[in-house]
Amino acid sequence: MLTLGAFSFIAPFALLGLVALPALWWLLRVIPPAPRRVRFPAIKLIIPLVNPEQSAAKSPLWLTLLRLALVTLLILGAAHPMLNADNRLDGEGTLVLIVDDGWTAAKNWAQRQATFSNLLDQAERGNRSVAVVTTAPRGSGDKRPQQSVMAPAAAREVLLAMTPKPWATDRQAALSVIKEIALQGDPQIIWLSDGADHGTAAAFAAALEKVGTVTVLADAPAGLPRLLLPPTSDRNGLTLRARRADPASGRTMMVRVRGGDDGAVLTRKAMIFEPGQTAARLTLELPVEIRNKVTHMEIENENSAGATALVDERWRRRPVGLVNSADPKGDLPLLDDYFYLARALDPFTEVRTGDIPELLKRKLAMLVLADPGIISGGQRARLVQWMQNGGIVLRFAGPRLAADRDTLLPVKLRKDDRELGGALSWTTPAQLAAFDENSPFAGLAVPKDVRIRRQVLAQPSIGLSKQTWARLTDGTPLVTSRKFGAGWLVFVHTSANPTWSNLPLSGLFVGMLQNLVRLSRGVTGTTDDRLLEPAQSLNGFGLLGAPGDGALGIKADAATKMRPGPQHPPGFYGDDTAGLAINLAPSVTTYKPLGSFGAGIETGGYQEARETNLRSWLLSAALVLLLADIVASLALRGFLGVARIAALVFAVVMAGPTFAQTVVQGNISEMRHDIRDFAPTLDVRIAYVKTGIRAVDNASRMGLSGLAFIANSRTAAEMGEPVAIDPGTQELAYFPLIYWPVTDNTPVIRPDTAAKLNSYLKSGGTILFDTRDQGGANFGTERLEEIAKHLNVPPLRAVPSDHVLTRTYYLLREFPGRWAGGRLWVARKGSRVNDGVSSVIVGGHDWASAWALDDERKPLYPVVPGGERQREMAFRFGINLVMYVLTGNYKADQVHVPAIMERLGQ
Amino acid sequence: MSRFQGQADALAGNLPSLLVAADRVAATVAQGVHGRRRAGQGESFWQYRAHEAEDPTHHVDWRRSARSDALYVRENEWEAAQSVWLWSDASPSMQYKSERDLPEKRERADLLTLALGSLLVKGGEQIAPLGRQARPTQGKAAINLLAAALSDRLDPARMDVSDSLPPHEDIPKYGRLVLLSDFLEPLEDLNRAIGVFAGRGVHGHVLQILDPAEQDLPFRGRTEFEGMENEGAALIGRVEGVRDTYCAMLKSHQAGLLDIARCAGWSCGFHVTSNSPESALLSLYTSLAGPQDVGAAIGVGA
Repeated sequence: MLTLGAFSFIAPFALLGLVALPALWWLLRVIPPAPRRVRFPAIKLIIPLVNPEQSAAKSPLWLTLLRLALVTLLILGAAHPMLNADNRLDGEGTLVLIVDDGWTAAKNWAQRQATFSNLLDQAERGNRSVAVVTTAPRGSGDKRPQQSVMAPAAAREVLLAMTPKPWATDRQAALSVIKEIALQGDPQIIWLSDGADHGTAAAFAAALEKVGTVTVLADAPAGLPRLLLPPTSDRNGLTLRARRADPASGRTMMVRVRGGDDGAVLTRKAMIFEPGQTAARLTLELPVEIRNKVTHMEIENENSAGATALVDERWRRRPVGLVNSADPKGDLPLLDDYFYLARALDPFTEVRTGDIPELLKRKLAMLVLADPGIISGGQRARLVQWMQNGGIVLRFAGPRLAADRDTLLPVKLRKDDRELGGALSWTTPAQLAAFDENSPFAGLAVPKDVRIRRQVLAQPSIGLSKQTWARLTDGTPLVTSRKFGAGWLVFVHTSANPTWSNLPLSGLFVGMLQNLVRLSRGVTGTTDDRLLEPAQSLNGFGLLGAPGDGALGIKADAATKMRPGPQHPPGFYGDDTAGLAINLAPSVTTYKPLGSFGAGIETGGYQEARETNLRSWLLSAALVLLLADIVASLALRGFLGVARIAALVFAVVMAGPTFAQTVVQGNISEMRHDIRDFAPTLDVRIAYVKTGIRAVDNASRMGLSGLAFIANSRTAAEMGEPVAIDPGTQELAYFPLIYWPVTDNTPVIRPDTAAKLNSYLKSGGTILFDTRDQGGANFGTERLEEIAKHLNVPPLRAVPSDHVLTRTYYLLREFPGRWAGGRLWVARKGSRVNDGVSSVIVGGHDWASAWALDDERKPLYPVVPGGERQREMAFRFGINLVMYVLTGNYKADQVHVPAIMERLGQ
Repeated sequence: MSRFQGQADALAGNLPSLLVAADRVAATVAQGVHGRRRAGQGESFWQYRAHEAEDPTHHVDWRRSARSDALYVRENEWEAAQSVWLWSDASPSMQYKSERDLPEKRERADLLTLALGSLLVKGGEQIAPLGRQARPTQGKAAINLLAAALSDRLDPARMDVSDSLPPHEDIPKYGRLVLLSDFLEPLEDLNRAIGVFAGRGVHGHVLQILDPAEQDLPFRGRTEFEGMENEGAALIGRVEGVRDTYCAMLKSHQAGLLDIARCAGWSCGFHVTSNSPESALLSLYTSLAGPQDVGAAIGVGA
């Protein structure tokens, strides 16, 4: 092996061939290419010109250079050059490749793969057997044998199947696997480590050293991935925490907070490690609405399961139960308490409605009772028990509470309620006082315009002041509370609808409810031992996806203590009602860089670039040059015209990429097809139906082209070149007129084509059938009937002398084509479809042949019986026809001109 | 047998279009040039002339004579038919075209022959293909005969190098002969072939038809030229270098041909296949229709 910079040659002896190049140069120059051969009638005049003393011709310089380049490429290709080749291996024994494929390996996975692949290339060249051991625990779905010795080619398949795992490595388990492998010769161990020490690295390395010579490849400590811990949620927002393995690694990192249904980035914040610290902290203050959307957060550009933190309901909007109204006012929502409550709660909580037992079946942060009427004894007991476990019950006063006293209240109430500012009262409605410091509502601004008109009053008692969270300016309690175990009972002394006060209409109402919900300690209720199925799992690169085969369900109460692994990968568990996020980061206890090892262990880094085999490229280039040489030789001998060379070169150059394109992007041609379909719309074009008979098609094309020329020069119509169509496959809507020459072997129109043509005729199109038989055998009429049997041809009649077709541009009496005489058939006048414009015109005059002009605008076919007058009449008919299809029955009004003139004269 | 059948079919398919094309070319010329404008035997009136002593009495036109003192004789226009023999070269050297869009020299020669025949027949002349020992005939049948004679020679089995020169045939004195060929044979051979006819008092016209490549020698570089009638090959190192010499040689050959025609009292024309056949036909027509001014070179088609 010979190495020159990034290049190395596997077979350097082949390079000796380059010495022969000068000799080849001389040889190529003296052997001229064969002359071009020309057959030439005037040879007798050439023979005297031959000069017997002319010197031998030489090859042109460019041809010689081309051939030299060809040979050079062949020699270089034979030398088998490689780019970025690495030569780490020496020795004979089994090559043991230990790969750390835990979450820490995800960060530089591409480099690990490139290095792995390069090592396999070297093993292949050195004919070494290979054993591959991965250190992360493997899922139960992974059935590959791990402890076998295999060929490098088989190891390459292992490499292709290998991905980083979203859990930590277990090196001790790997060690036991290595000990079971039947190693041959003097084993060489290469440990493609992740550069991180989870506590057992030194012991592992020492154990490896006993097996064989060890090389450790590791990332630099500064390049180790950082760990994002799940946030803590509090009243201010989410507090993020992160860890790093080495204090020397990058201080600043960007954290992306994602959420919503589509995982969009909600915010992006910089997180900064203090110098020397391995932990960092960041508080995210997010609006409640945004905060509720958060599903996960990740460190930017560090795609690993450890750099992704998942967030579930515990961090998010809390479910609030709204107990059904005893007296629903479905048709008058503005009088309903629930309308205001639901509106106020919905932006930051998940509102559930139902009766009390139903609501308590599921987890709730808060239960709201808005003047529910009498609560039964059993329900009371359940509510009390729920509050003891940490639930919050919020009650509102109302007419029903005022009527029937209830004891599930934080304070005792006086017998009757108080009305302020009514018709029979001197007082004015009361305002709210500012909130106390120890009230949960502290800090909320009190709007001046909130007025309480009616309330229920608390019995004065010693603890009343402590229990009061909000009061009116006169000191009357408005919100009172009482602690039940871990929970609260909160009572608002006025109603939740605007009949007693305008509090529910104010922003303060929302703020008060928000603070009460925040008071609840997350989702409160008994934890259960339900089994939560995995819903989404993180992969090694920190991406959420469908859970793997090995993922098992998890007990809800065991979730917090669980360590993620093959059975329980990090991700979301459970359904929508009880989603649970399992994160990898909390289970990572020890996380530091690999230390230095003993003297017997070699260390190194990962390779950036995959080695590239240049031989195939060089040989391909040589092949291309060979083809070019063949083409050039043929051209020099005069076997190819310039156009043919160009076509050949084009084919050679384009063939490869074109194949690739057709395979990869199949629908592009369809798109192009569409664009081509639109091309006829840029001009008024007449279409003709291809018959497959070349003479007829040519006549049609040149005839319609000639008609377009004549019409353009004489009329305001601007016609483009005619288009050949196949009515079965092409869109017809762009053509005002279709010229259909009927030959004796025109096939019968198929029903599906006929359906298309019928819709074309119905939407205003016109078809001119030309049986072209006026002058000869009259096969046409019956044949046309047979061909068009599926077509909705209207009843026809011969053109009357006052038909529009006789006056759309010229005044005509007859409609000759190549043949004169005979009749032209149009739809009977009675049909009112398309304003009476005949959708089908039938004749046998072979008009296209009469219209056909050559390049010099000279007629191509004689007309019969003849005379330029007949041809002129044929053109006039053509122009009338074009005008007829373009303007419809516009000129039909001319029929009434005599009558109109007569009337004007009177 | 089936092979010949197939060839015959292909030829038959080719023929009508050739006839039509010839007709069309003829029609465009017929408008430009008119009859022979001299007194002679015929039916239509030509002129009155003064009565001379040798005129028989019954030739006097009494109606005209009554209007003046002199006697007048009524003369009709000369309408005698002329016999024309037509020949076009069909040797392999004529089957050449230098570019795809050009016609072969032979095609052009046949086209012109047929067109001329068509014109002559329309003019009431008698025509015959040379070399078939056929009597000159008139009418549509004469055209068909001519076409059959032309298509016969397309059979490669019957093609011969000796076709390069017109075959000898006994043509009566005062007959007319039209020869179409590339006339690339040595001048002595051409002189001999034309002299045989000229010695018998036959008047004629020769039209040399050349391909543009033969006129300009547009090839470049090292080229090996190969004859089409087994003349051998010639290797030229740089064709550009000999182009001028070649053109000069061609010019002198053409001058020689012109001299031969002039000596025989014939007219001579030149035509290149890249030019339109109408001009060549027109020149043929005028040289045949006009007074026989000896040796007039007309319509140099270069």
